[in-house]
Amino acid sequence: MTTATEVPATAPVLQRLIAPRWDNWPGALAVFIIGTALAISFLAPKVSFWVSAALAVLFAATVVVNAWGRYTGGLLVAPALALLFVMNVFPLLWSFGLSFFNYRANRARAPTWVGLDNYANVLSDPEVWDRLHNTIILVIMTVTAQMVVGFLLALLFAKQFPLRRFLLILVLTPMMLSFVAVGAFFRYYYDPTFGLLSQAVRLFTGHPFILMNTVWGSRIGIVFADAWMWSPFVMLLVLAGLVSVPKYLYEAAAIDRVSHWRQFWSITFPYIRGLMLLALLFRTIEAFKLFDLVFLLTNGGPGTATETIALRVYRVAFENNKTSESTALAYILLFTVIVLTNLYLYFATRRAKEAAPA
Amino acid sequence: MSTIELRGVTKHFGAFTAVRDLSLSVSAGEVVCLLGPSGCGKTTTLRVVAGLERASAGDVLIAGKRMNDWRPDQRNIAMVFQFYALYPALTVRENIMFPLHVERLEPQTAAGRVAKVARLLQLESVLDRLPSHISEGEKQRVAVARAVVRDPNCFLFDEPLSRLDVELRQTMRSEIKTVLRGLSKATVIVTHDQLEALTMADRIAIMRDGVIEQIASAHEVFAKPATVFVASFIGIPQMNLLHAQFEGVENGHGRFRIDDQPTRLPVDPAVAKLAKGQVTIGIRPRALVLDGAASADAIAGRAELIEPMGAETLVHARTSLGSDIRVVVPREIRVNAGDTLRLRTEARETHVFDHSGRAVRT
Amino acid sequence: MTDTVATPVGPSAPARPFRQFVDRVRLRRSSTGVSDAGWGRTLVAAIVSIIYFFPVFWIILTSFKTYEDALAVPAKFFFTPTLENFVHVFNRAYSAGGPVQNTGFALYFFNSLFISGVSVLLALAIGTVAAFGFSRYPLRGNDTYLFIILTTRMLPAIVVIIPIFIMFRVTGLAGTYAGIIALYTMFNLPFAIWMMKSFFDELALDVEDAARIDGSSDVRVFFKICLPQVLAGLAATTVFGLILTWNEFLFALLLSGVETRTVPVAMSQTIGGDIGVRWGLLAAIETLFLIPVIIVTFALQNQLLRGVTFGTIKR
Repeated sequence: MTTATEVPATAPVLQRLIAPRWDNWPGALAVFIIGTALAISFLAPKVSFWVSAALAVLFAATVVVNAWGRYTGGLLVAPALALLFVMNVFPLLWSFGLSFFNYRANRARAPTWVGLDNYANVLSDPEVWDRLHNTIILVIMTVTAQMVVGFLLALLFAKQFPLRRFLLILVLTPMMLSFVAVGAFFRYYYDPTFGLLSQAVRLFTGHPFILMNTVWGSRIGIVFADAWMWSPFVMLLVLAGLVSVPKYLYEAAAIDRVSHWRQFWSITFPYIRGLMLLALLFRTIEAFKLFDLVFLLTNGGPGTATETIALRVYRVAFENNKTSESTALAYILLFTVIVLTNLYLYFATRRAKEAAPA
Repeated sequence: MSTIELRGVTKHFGAFTAVRDLSLSVSAGEVVCLLGPSGCGKTTTLRVVAGLERASAGDVLIAGKRMNDWRPDQRNIAMVFQFYALYPALTVRENIMFPLHVERLEPQTAAGRVAKVARLLQLESVLDRLPSHISEGEKQRVAVARAVVRDPNCFLFDEPLSRLDVELRQTMRSEIKTVLRGLSKATVIVTHDQLEALTMADRIAIMRDGVIEQIASAHEVFAKPATVFVASFIGIPQMNLLHAQFEGVENGHGRFRIDDQPTRLPVDPAVAKLAKGQVTIGIRPRALVLDGAASADAIAGRAELIEPMGAETLVHARTSLGSDIRVVVPREIRVNAGDTLRLRTEARETHVFDHSGRAVRT
Repeated sequence: MTDTVATPVGPSAPARPFRQFVDRVRLRRSSTGVSDAGWGRTLVAAIVSIIYFFPVFWIILTSFKTYEDALAVPAKFFFTPTLENFVHVFNRAYSAGGPVQNTGFALYFFNSLFISGVSVLLALAIGTVAAFGFSRYPLRGNDTYLFIILTTRMLPAIVVIIPIFIMFRVTGLAGTYAGIIALYTMFNLPFAIWMMKSFFDELALDVEDAARIDGSSDVRVFFKICLPQVLAGLAATTVFGLILTWNEFLFALLLSGVETRTVPVAMSQTIGGDIGVRWGLLAAIETLFLIPVIIVTFALQNQLLRGVTFGTIKR
């Protein structure tokens, strides 16, 4: 491979593509993609993995050579991009490919091509739609709760008062707990015999209160724990917006004799709108991925009433060992998330064009 | 009646006193300027009038009513902020309309008022734009428009022109003056720019360290400054202030020792009653006249730096013992660096300030 | 010359005393962008915060209770505290009457500290450098790269868990420190890049240019001038990254081995293994586990709260 002579830019695309030069990154990319596909199809997984990895390294090398000196920024950015590529993009692409086969992790034979069968099975599986339904209900409930509680908390902390710092940290602690602890302890709190919730209700009704054995009860239980944990996150974002409003705007509004409600809508809200949308996006994404808490609190129960999609993917993959099928399901979930993200970005950029507080 | 009155107003911020026993009276239609360096308490005073700060002591009366305990939205005042405080998410039209919501006018009436004000301040072309998309000057006019569209008890301006460039300032000065004239409301303008104060105000209150050193018309603060501070603050180039020993009055001339040189200068008759001792003599650069003949009635100095200013020339001179003197001469008179100058003055241009800084004058 | 002052007016009684008080509180001057509110709000905020904090408080309380006390009905607020749970975290008998053995939790705590600490530091290092690159040397596809980076944060873990699991098994990374650290670093990178980039974007360039003219190399400019100004962003990234990796469960569950197990995984085994959850023990583990996070957050709180104010979307 040489770097000596430039391949003229007017040369046909194909010639540029296959030019054996160290900075020919499009060529290396093509080699990587084709090579990986061939390797997966014809070689055992262990071998194909290393072949694919070697080609990936080759590609990375060409990118680095291409960037050296010419793009300082590229070099600075490269380690991060490389790590992301290896740990994220590469597995993503691989699993995408995998979803077209019928690979099962616990069987040694090479996978065979099944095309879109996995996807078809998943989309036509009524259980999948049921889980999706569960997930959506949980998402709507918990995100709404988090936005409302987070917003109210932010309003509370939007002014300076004695002990504010200390109280703020108190409110932030739920975020710092591990899911395991929260899951376990909320199970404890919800327990009919010695849980705090039941005992509190018993003070009023005299009967133990069983929350987690009804469909809606367990949903509320999960939502309560999740919203409790993550409302502080929403609070932080909204608080950032509230605090960034210049004080003199409120002074001017006071002099203009403007009502508090109108002050909020015309002055405060534009500052926090963007951040609230961001909080909404992040929490919705996270809610769709809801796994840890459900796994620990109810394990999908009662029955399968609270089994989320993420939980199902886990089950199918690790308990039933239907690796490829679960991959297909996971990709459908990914697709949903991407659609949501794009919707958000569409709204966010449209807002940015309209009226951004300068 | 649109009036403002402050009686013995004091404002503390913890241990720091920003405004000290300040009394001020602004009548309807009068424009008073609070002028002074940063930290003198002028903005605090304005905010006390607005209700954004609460007076620690004293009375704040607007339109004759004591409003110490009233919030800003109850006082019916209009204020133009230094940073304009335009609502970023609203268009110019909505910004101007904002204070009218509480009046619950008919939509056409409100729109009519907005249109009239927009015409007055030449904002018609930007009515539907956002504050982030208009120029500095336009932002300033919108801030003024928002104040003027109402019928408040008084107008308060906080350094309204400080963020504009020099040419824009000149234009806006006259525009604001015209607008205010038509409205006959008590107005208080806070500024640190003496040119603004001199041109826009009916009376100027010069403040330092929380007190008003002098409040009088532009002419009076210029021609008859009450203290050394006022004298040095007003006037460009700055007034010459010389330390001297006062030794008595003779034939209408005071005998002084300036830098150990005995000098006789014509002074105001009241100086005769002054006790001998340390004084400060103030003479404006344009009041000094170059005199050819040597006489004890002049101040001697050596020219050091010559600054041509176009129609005039500013000469920096130094006395034998190092005191700075600035003289402004018409450009026809040629002065060279190193020339010895003899500077004469007149009685009414020679200001004598006693050891406490107060002017000695009839 | 000077104005004459009218005779002072006598004091007038305030008409509405409570309103007086409220207004006086409200008109108080403040020096920051956040206006003052006074002790009234402290009271309300304290009530809300304490209620909000209560479940956490109960966990900490439970860690001092004996097994019987923890299950007591009605719930006990007052009891004789014991430290036996904290001891049992590290040494206990796995079955009634059995020998007291080391639980290995000391190792698990170390693992959590080590893995989280290293991955956060790595993410900070790589991410800050990358963010600097994105900010100062915009590439042609900058927006695209940034969008992709942001979306990787949004991916459900489930999507990548399977191939990563296979990948780790195949390459022998499963159960090693290197593997899980690399993975966690990758988790923290998008947030680090995004946050630090928005901070770098805000910096004024004149100072850097002046330093360059004075002869400083790019590296010195970066360390001596840029970094000190973005401490708030570094703090925010550290705290959020730490919280994320510290409590991470799913990947740790599947990818860490016996030697590299982290505390959350060990905690879940404690629940599963014993008959009847030993709540006191679990609470003790969690309380101990909570301490490092709180320490870090507290230490960085000044910078962190500024970070939340300035690091988010600013157009």
